[in-house]
Amino acid sequence: MAGRPVIEIDDLVVEYGRGRKVTRAVDGISLRVNEGECVGFIGANGAGKSTTIKTLMGFIFPTRGTVRVFGSEAGTVESRRRIGYLPEVALYYPFMKARELLELYGGLQGLSRSELRRKIPMLLEEVGLAGKGETLLRNFSKGMQQRLGIAQAIIADPEALIFDELSSGLDPVGKFDLRQVLLKLKSAGRTIFFSSHELTEVESLCDRVVMIHKGRIVTEATVRDLMKPLNEFGVIFEMPNGREMPPAVAAHQPECDGGRWRVTIRDPADYAAAVAALTAAGASIVSTASRTRSLEDYFISLVRSGDGTGGRGDAS
Amino acid sequence: MRAVWLIARSVLVEAVRRKEIYVIVLASLGLIGAVMTVDFFRLEGLSKFYREIALKIMGVATALTVIVLAARQLPREFEARTIYPLLAKPISRTTFLLGKLLGVMLAAGFCFTLFSAVFLAGTLYLGSGLHAGLYAQYLYLQMIQMLVLATMAFLLSLLMNLDAAITLGAVFYALSSVLMSAVSYIYDWVGAVGKVVLLALTILLPQLPLFDLSEKTVHAERVTLGGEWTWTALDAPTMAMLTAYGAVFAAVYFGLSLLLFRRKPL
Repeated sequence: MAGRPVIEIDDLVVEYGRGRKVTRAVDGISLRVNEGECVGFIGANGAGKSTTIKTLMGFIFPTRGTVRVFGSEAGTVESRRRIGYLPEVALYYPFMKARELLELYGGLQGLSRSELRRKIPMLLEEVGLAGKGETLLRNFSKGMQQRLGIAQAIIADPEALIFDELSSGLDPVGKFDLRQVLLKLKSAGRTIFFSSHELTEVESLCDRVVMIHKGRIVTEATVRDLMKPLNEFGVIFEMPNGREMPPAVAAHQPECDGGRWRVTIRDPADYAAAVAALTAAGASIVSTASRTRSLEDYFISLVRSGDGTGGRGDAS
Repeated sequence: MRAVWLIARSVLVEAVRRKEIYVIVLASLGLIGAVMTVDFFRLEGLSKFYREIALKIMGVATALTVIVLAARQLPREFEARTIYPLLAKPISRTTFLLGKLLGVMLAAGFCFTLFSAVFLAGTLYLGSGLHAGLYAQYLYLQMIQMLVLATMAFLLSLLMNLDAAITLGAVFYALSSVLMSAVSYIYDWVGAVGKVVLLALTILLPQLPLFDLSEKTVHAERVTLGGEWTWTALDAPTMAMLTAYGAVFAAVYFGLSLLLFRRKPL
């Protein structure tokens, strides 16, 4: 993706505390999110995800480095004009009705009364709260509050969405509904940057994944590139006598085992090409097998490896 | 300006819908009503007695409401994390705090309106006269005092925890008149350093009794039927000076609150 940068973080350091009790929550991270991208920001608890997002919103201040949103310094009114934000945990005024709350948030984003009157019922329906506009928020469950949070984040059709812990507090139906909302926003070209513990969600929604561990970015790659070394496709085949090994297969260093060949390929596209080449060469395919590790497997190995590289030894 | 109003309205909605505000208001109204039953004893000067008690209750109840409401605005927002989605909108922290202040002042106005309706009904019922000009000035200066108290409560809530802020705000309000009397009484008895400290106290702390016209309002009576009043309304320059005096304190407290709030990591 080569759109205009929406989020630009350069050498960000955030420290909490004073004197000897200083804790470095974010340790020199740099990151770009471009227009139209959907980027997942993942890491274990305490890795620095929420601190980074709070810095983006201007809730906390960088100890060092710069953070810009839509070209403006993070925290300025201008930087927040085109953003929709969902906090990690937010409770909403219990003494207000859902409609009143959305009127407040929409009004603060500059929507007129007539726009609010038109939009609020549609928005409530979109997030699965149809008919709840006149209900006091003290009667809302955690999941309902989270849905309302999503509604307030998207009420002004923001160009970029920043969600801290995307589906926190949502039941499976809520998660599904939220995914539909996000897919719709993504297809409309909105920039989405979110942290999440739901790695399947990240896998299914994101173009790119940024992994943070102990305040540092350890992996930044497209989901496809990240998943490539995690997959394994095995083929056992027999080559007709006198036929040369097709280059698409030879490249993956097949091993001969009692007249049968065995090859392991990581890239799905390479795997497809190898099978096609073998078929064209008249090889007899005895068996195929695939072993796909999930992003979650990778994430767990990353966190447990200690060095934050998940045993891959790189941080590309 | 619309953002300030929207935030202020949410404060007012909270003040109106939360039960503790009604407890203060209803208890005070009950007390005012109880004073009127004294009529059965045919006491002399009942209307004056009624005016005095009612105005005192009105001032104290509204001040307590304002201190509690103002002091808890920011700590509650931090605690419940309701501040995050609000400050994620394109509004500055200055706008946010101004909205909170306006909301508290609207709540104070709501309390005074409620009390005034009861007070005036009682006055009418007792058939006693009331100097309308003085009463209007009393209400106006009370609102100036509420502005000072609200900004002070904001500042205290940013310097200490909620309970301490409410307690200190209420204690200062309750002891303000005593404190100032004590300062003037002991001034001649202390040494040079003590004099500087007392002088600093007199200058740095707002003298809330200056905003209290209740005594004049209570004792203002016509000398003869349809004739002159025993007490007249304050002249314009005095009112302007009192307004400026309150505005300076409110501006200083608000400015310091803003300074702390703008630097506060959330």
